[in-house]
Formats: sequence, structure tokens, C-alpha cells
Amino acid sequence: MVTQSMRRDVFQALADPNRRAIIGLLANQKLTVKAVAEHFPISRPAVSRHVKILAECGLLVVHQKGRERFCEARLDKLNEVSTWIEQQQRTWEQRLDRLDDYLNELKAKERK
Amino acid sequence: MIGETESTQRSARSELVITRIFDIPRELVWKAWTDPKHFMRWWGPKDFTAPFCEIDLRVGGKYLNCMRSPEGREYWSTGVYREIIPMEKLVYTDSFADEEGNVVSATYYGMSPDFPLEMLVTVTFEDYDGKTKMTLKHTDLPAGEMSEQTGAGWNESFDKLAGSLIRRKG
Repeated sequence: MVTQSMRRDVFQALADPNRRAIIGLLANQKLTVKAVAEHFPISRPAVSRHVKILAECGLLVVHQKGRERFCEARLDKLNEVSTWIEQQQRTWEQRLDRLDDYLNELKAKERK
Repeated sequence: MIGETESTQRSARSELVITRIFDIPRELVWKAWTDPKHFMRWWGPKDFTAPFCEIDLRVGGKYLNCMRSPEGREYWSTGVYREIIPMEKLVYTDSFADEEGNVVSATYYGMSPDFPLEMLVTVTFEDYDGKTKMTLKHTDLPAGEMSEQTGAGWNESFDKLAGSLIRRKG
């Protein structure tokens, strides 16, 4: 419970289903912002906004090529999510160690 | 040590599963989780104490507990029991709380606003060769826009996403 929280960025970026879909789409290919927008029913400015948030969180980078803006996913960032789980794991392991000690005590008492 | 860590694994990125074997009857392990008198004896990290614990053990019933750090700082938690099968299964939600039992975000305790507002904990108890096998599953839902927009769909879709990305990398 008192674990240090993971950096907020990645979770926030992936909290939105459209942003998850954008990353999923970019997992296999580089695409222009325009091409990304074509995959979604939401407006192009809305897609641009999501792309911007993903870029700010380091989940993708945008390359300017002439008049086109290409998006490329940075998948290593996703590892931060597993760090979060690892922190939760440590917290639980610590608690269960204490449960273990306590049950040990109980067992000793039962024997008396 | 009467318990041994049998396995700890991440079954998915946003879910944690821990299994332990305790050489003690199931009934006592169950009590340790559901009877405040016992619960207060072990809850919290090492060197913490649990000065308060109330448990209303029925589906829809709430609990409220407090753990105190060696420096005297208190952290309150609350939640609701979702499923109770005596000696077999316990499912409850877990959130930070104030001492009145109101759910608060992690910022109340100076932690990131993206700490999950609500976590779901499932504990199962099974007989295991004269011992008790306890499996704990922890699932969390990040707070913020996530809980408004995607709710329970998060885990599934994120697992799929992570899976597809890992395959691509590998």
C-alpha cells in the first residue's frame, strides 16, 4: 500500500481506449497522423491530441517528413507498467511474510 | 517458516497472482483474514502495526482498517466484500480511505494521483496435502480518466495490447 507509485505518464497515456488502439495500430507500422486518424471515428484534431499525449509520455515519437508527420511507437516504455506490478508484488510478499509469521505463532499456541 | 512461497507469477501485466502453502488448517488461515482480532496481528509491512480493524463479513459489507508506520503515520483502507464462501474464497475491493471510512485518492497520502482508486483482491483457500494452499489475486484499475471511460475493459484490452506488442518485439 505504501509502495512508491510508478511514474504516472504511461498509465495515463494508456488509460484511454483510443490511445491504446493507436499504439496497437502503430505496433506493426509507422503511419502518418492523417493515416492514423482514418482508422478512428473521432475527429482528426482529437486524434492529434491523443498522439501528442502519447508522444509526451514517450510511447511514440513523431517525425516530420516534408509536410507529413509520421508516428512511430516506442514500445520499451510499456515496461514501466510491469514495474508497477512488481512494486505491488513486493508489498503483498511483505504482508504475506507477516501472515506466515503470525500463523506460525498460532500454530505454536495450538500445540500448547 | 511454516509457509513457503510456491510460486509468484504475473499472469498478466495488470494482475498479480501469489500462491503460498501454509502448514496450518484452512480454518485458521481463513480466520487470519476475516477476524479483526487476528487480522490486526499481521496486516501491514514489517514493523508496521494495525491499530484498527472493523470487518462486516457479508456480501456488500464493508471493512475499515488502519496501519501505522514506525514513525506513527497512519494509512487507512476500506472496501466492500463482493463474494464470501467461508473457508474457500474471499473477494473484496480495496481503496485508500480517511479514518471515517470515506474513499480517498492516493494523493490524500501524498502518492501519485494515478495510484489505482480501487483494487480487487481475490483470496482462495484450498486443502493441500494436509496443509492450506492460499492463492491471492490482485487486480488494479488505474484511477483518473480510466475508471470513467473503460472500467473493467481495461485489463482485457491492455493484456491483448501488451501481448501483441511483445509478439512483435520477439
